[in-house]
Amino acid sequence: MLHYDFMQRAFCAGALLALAASSLGVYLMLRRQALMADMLSHVSLAGIAGGAYLHVNPTVAGFVVAIAGAVAVEYVRRAYRTFSEISVAIIMVGGLSSAVILMSLAGNVNKSFSSYLFGSLVAVNRTELTLMLGVAALAAVFFLVCRRALYQMTFDEETAQTSGVPVRWLSLAFSVVTGMVVAAAMPIVGVLLVSALIILPAALAIRIASGFTAALVLAMLFGLTGVWSGLAASFALSTPPGGTIALILLVFLVVGIAARKLATMLGKRRTSVREASEQPPLNEARYSNPSLSTHESGGS
Amino acid sequence: MSLMSLDNVRFGYGSFPTLERVSLDVLPGELVAVAGPNGAAKTTLLKLMLGLLKPWEGDVRIASRGKAGKRLVVGYVPQQLAAFNSAFPSTVLEFVRSGRHAGGAWFRRLREEDRAATELALRQVGMWEQRGRRIGVLSGGQKQRICIARALAMEPDLLALDEPTAGMDPESRAGFYALMREETKTRGRAIVMVTHELNEAYPYADRVVVLERLENGGMRCCTTTSCSGHFAPALS
Repeated sequence: MLHYDFMQRAFCAGALLALAASSLGVYLMLRRQALMADMLSHVSLAGIAGGAYLHVNPTVAGFVVAIAGAVAVEYVRRAYRTFSEISVAIIMVGGLSSAVILMSLAGNVNKSFSSYLFGSLVAVNRTELTLMLGVAALAAVFFLVCRRALYQMTFDEETAQTSGVPVRWLSLAFSVVTGMVVAAAMPIVGVLLVSALIILPAALAIRIASGFTAALVLAMLFGLTGVWSGLAASFALSTPPGGTIALILLVFLVVGIAARKLATMLGKRRTSVREASEQPPLNEARYSNPSLSTHESGGS
Repeated sequence: MSLMSLDNVRFGYGSFPTLERVSLDVLPGELVAVAGPNGAAKTTLLKLMLGLLKPWEGDVRIASRGKAGKRLVVGYVPQQLAAFNSAFPSTVLEFVRSGRHAGGAWFRRLREEDRAATELALRQVGMWEQRGRRIGVLSGGQKQRICIARALAMEPDLLALDEPTAGMDPESRAGFYALMREETKTRGRAIVMVTHELNEAYPYADRVVVLERLENGGMRCCTTTSCSGHFAPALS
């Protein structure tokens, strides 16, 4: 399988995108913007159709329009501060309606359209691989450099702002990176399933991780495993890669949640058995001041 | 030198003014309690102080430098902060430690002093033993404590707290006020605290700001009462 050039490119591009998209998904979910990836993929569809109509490279046009959509959603989100999901609905309607009209005008786009909608292994050419490499590198730098500020902003924007985080600019940069990752992921997983690559690994990681860093690492691990196994299954079964990857990620999520529930149930049973055999110690936490009172040491 | 000052500030929502002619200075080392009935714009006043809202008229000045000429560090615990998304995948330690990256220090690695400040803050609120737990599984009162611990871990020059004692029992509230008093007197922090339990906060506060409803059209003004000398500091 890996002696084919196109499969090497697909595995390479898939790995890069899995890592970028999964970590992005953790932040998107926690900011309650899970549908943003879906919305931006629909907006980029308008770019692809527009590119075909204007005889511009559809991938590049989709990339540019996705970034423009990300910037637009950030401004609409500020206008509807308390209903941030409305911004997603508004921009999605604009993107999808433009895409439908431009598709009808650009007759030549229909043939290759299914590869944009559902993803295609052969769709990843060298230009797109270079684009993905650039996007993945940029996303990696962004998430590494801004991870602490992103954590604060994701938790609460107002406290982040008073802590000195430039929330407005950081949020805008985050949206632009989201747009770039979504547009770059389209050749592999397709417009319709791009959000699966972003959201499903994050959804599982958030459920089972003990901490924030662990959630990011687990999301990347699930994303990478899902994409590689999905690509391999897609090659073996001759199925569309987007749907195969999404289905495998969904199986990961269901199995992961079930395993988590089972572990919780077993943990509860063990606790109740232990509690039945011994008296639980009283642990009353109170405000204290170590400089004024002697406080017992609580370990390292 | 005041850390924060409002000068003849006027603010409202839509076309309805909610704060009129508000002037206030907050000095280092003082504890200011803000009180008033529901809907008296106490939270609005706090947000204006922090620069989160822009006034219609008047000036809001926040010092750019704090202790020893370093960048001013502001800690803020909003009213609903403890009602955060319980799915947020973070440990108590991770959460409180994030306060050490305030004031633009996101790029530097954590040092021993950061670990010590985090531990002290968690011990002060009685949550050190819970440091390894996920924040989402904590009770409402515990969530409130770690939000306060995070603000304390920042070692802020100015600490703004919006109803920080909501949901606390009387004994915890007394301990909390004593801790805040200690923070102002020994570490020189300025603390502005919105509270409903004015009777309990009064003995610890240096000043009380009362937001009152004006007779003409529901507008409000601000009066400041000095508490100094009324009560000896509770911890002295």
